[in-house]
Amino acid sequence: MRRLVFTSIVTAVSGLFCLASGGPTFAADEYAYDPVHSSISFKARHLDISWIHGRFNEAEGKVVIDKQDPAKSSFQLSIKVDSVDTANKARDEHLRQPDYFDAKQFPTIDFRSTSVKQVKGGYEVTGDFTMHGKTKKVTLTIEGGKEAEFMGTKRIGFSTQLSVKRSDFGFDKTQIGLIGDEALVYIDFEGARK
Amino acid sequence: MPDLLQYLSATVLAAGISAVVVLAAGAPGPRWAAACSRLREKSGAVYVLALGAGLAGGWYVLRLPVSWPPASGLSRLLTIVLPLAFAIELISACPIVPRWLAWCGRLLVAMSAGRILLHGSVYLSGDKAGWSAVLAPGVYLLSGGLLLLVWTLLGVLSRRAGGLSISLALAQAALCGGLATMLAGYVSGGAASLPLAGALVGCAVASGLSKYPGDSFVGAIGVGAVALFGLLYIGHFFGQLSAPRALVVFLSPLLCWVVDLPVLRRQPAWRIGMLRLGLVAIPLIAVVMLAKRDFDRDTLPLL
Repeated sequence: MRRLVFTSIVTAVSGLFCLASGGPTFAADEYAYDPVHSSISFKARHLDISWIHGRFNEAEGKVVIDKQDPAKSSFQLSIKVDSVDTANKARDEHLRQPDYFDAKQFPTIDFRSTSVKQVKGGYEVTGDFTMHGKTKKVTLTIEGGKEAEFMGTKRIGFSTQLSVKRSDFGFDKTQIGLIGDEALVYIDFEGARK
Repeated sequence: MPDLLQYLSATVLAAGISAVVVLAAGAPGPRWAAACSRLREKSGAVYVLALGAGLAGGWYVLRLPVSWPPASGLSRLLTIVLPLAFAIELISACPIVPRWLAWCGRLLVAMSAGRILLHGSVYLSGDKAGWSAVLAPGVYLLSGGLLLLVWTLLGVLSRRAGGLSISLALAQAALCGGLATMLAGYVSGGAASLPLAGALVGCAVASGLSKYPGDSFVGAIGVGAVALFGLLYIGHFFGQLSAPRALVVFLSPLLCWVVDLPVLRRQPAWRIGMLRLGLVAIPLIAVVMLAKRDFDRDTLPLL
C-alpha cells in the first residue's frame, strides 16, 4: 500500500513537471551526408553551344529535421573544391587554379541554412552560400524528405538544384569566355541518421 | 579568355608611363627646382615612382581582380607586399636615412612576404592538408632568404656597374616568368608580370636618354625583384608553376654577375650589357620552351 502511494505521488509530480515544461519533447533527427549515395554535379556552357558536365566527389554535411517544428530544421553542406572531376585530369587541374576555383585559397564551397519553411513536397530553405570567398543569400527549394530504414540505419533523401553565376562570386571576369558564366548545380543528398 | 591585345596594351602603357615619369623628372625646369632635381637624381626615388606609376597603369588595363580586404594571393601582393616594398625603397632613397635602417626594412619585407601571400590558404589551415609548424617557417625563411639574396646582389651590382642592363635583365625574367605562369594555366597571374616587364624596360630606356646616374636604379630594381618574387611565388603555390621553373626564373638575373668577373669586365659598356642580357636569356628561354611543351601536351587539347 505504501509502495502504491509512493508510486502515485512520483507519477503525479512527474506529470505536473511535464505539463509545466510544455509537455513531452521530441529530439530532432540528425542525418550525416552519405558520400556513397549522394551526388553533387554541375554543368556549364561551352562556347555557348553545348554543355560540359562535372561533379564534386567529396563533401560533408548534415541535415537536422524537426518534424514538430520544421522551422528548427537545418541544412549544411561543405563541398571540397579539390575533388572537382570533369572526366579530364588536365581540365580538373586547370579548374583548381586561381583563374577558376582557386582551390588552395578557397578549399570549400559551403551552404548553411538560416531559415527553413516546410512546403508541399519538401522545404524552402534560405541560407548563406559561400563560394570563392564570397557569401550570398540564396533560397533553395529542397524536394524530398522521404525516410527509409536499411540495415538498421534510418535514411532520408533530398534533392535540389541551383543556378550560380561565377561573376557574382568574385571569379575573374576576364577569364569567363570559353566556359559560360552561369553553372547549374544539382545536389542529391542522402543522409544517414547518426 | 586571354586577350593578346589587352596584354600588349598593358605592357606598352606601363613602359610608356614609366619612361615619361623618368624623362619628365629629368627635364630642365625653373631654377628654384634645381636643388630638388639634384636631390632626386641622387636618391633614385624617381625610378621607384616611375616603376610604380607604370605598374599601376598596366595593371589597371588588365583589370586585375584586386579587392579589400584582399582575399587572394594576387590581391595581397598588389595591396600589401608591393606597397610595403615601394614605401621602404622610397624611404631608403632619402639620403638622410641610414643604410642599416633601409636594410632592416628590406629584411622585414623579405621575411614577411611569404607569410602574407599564403594567408588564409590551405597551407596554413592547420588541418592535415596544411603545413606543419616546422615546415611553414622553413618555407618563409628559405623564400625570404632567396628574395633578400637577389635583392641585395642586384642592388650591389647596379651600384657598381650601372642599372640599365640589370633592369632589362629583370624585365626579361618578368616576361618569361609571366609566360611560363600563363602556360601553366594561371592566366591572370602570368599576365600581371607583363606590365612589370614593360615598366622596367620603360625605366631603362628613359634612363639611357636622361642624365641620371646608374646607381639611382637600386630602389626600382629592389621593387622589381619583390614583384617578380611575389608573382612567381603565387604562381607556384596557387597555380601550377613548378618550383624548379620558378627558381630558375627568379635567380636568372643573378647571371649578370658573371660579366663582372675580372676577365670580362674590361669590355666596352654596350658589350657588357649585351653579354648580361644574353646570359640571362639562356635559362629563361629554356623555361618558356618547357612550359610551351607542357601546354601543348596537356592544355591545348582542352581548347
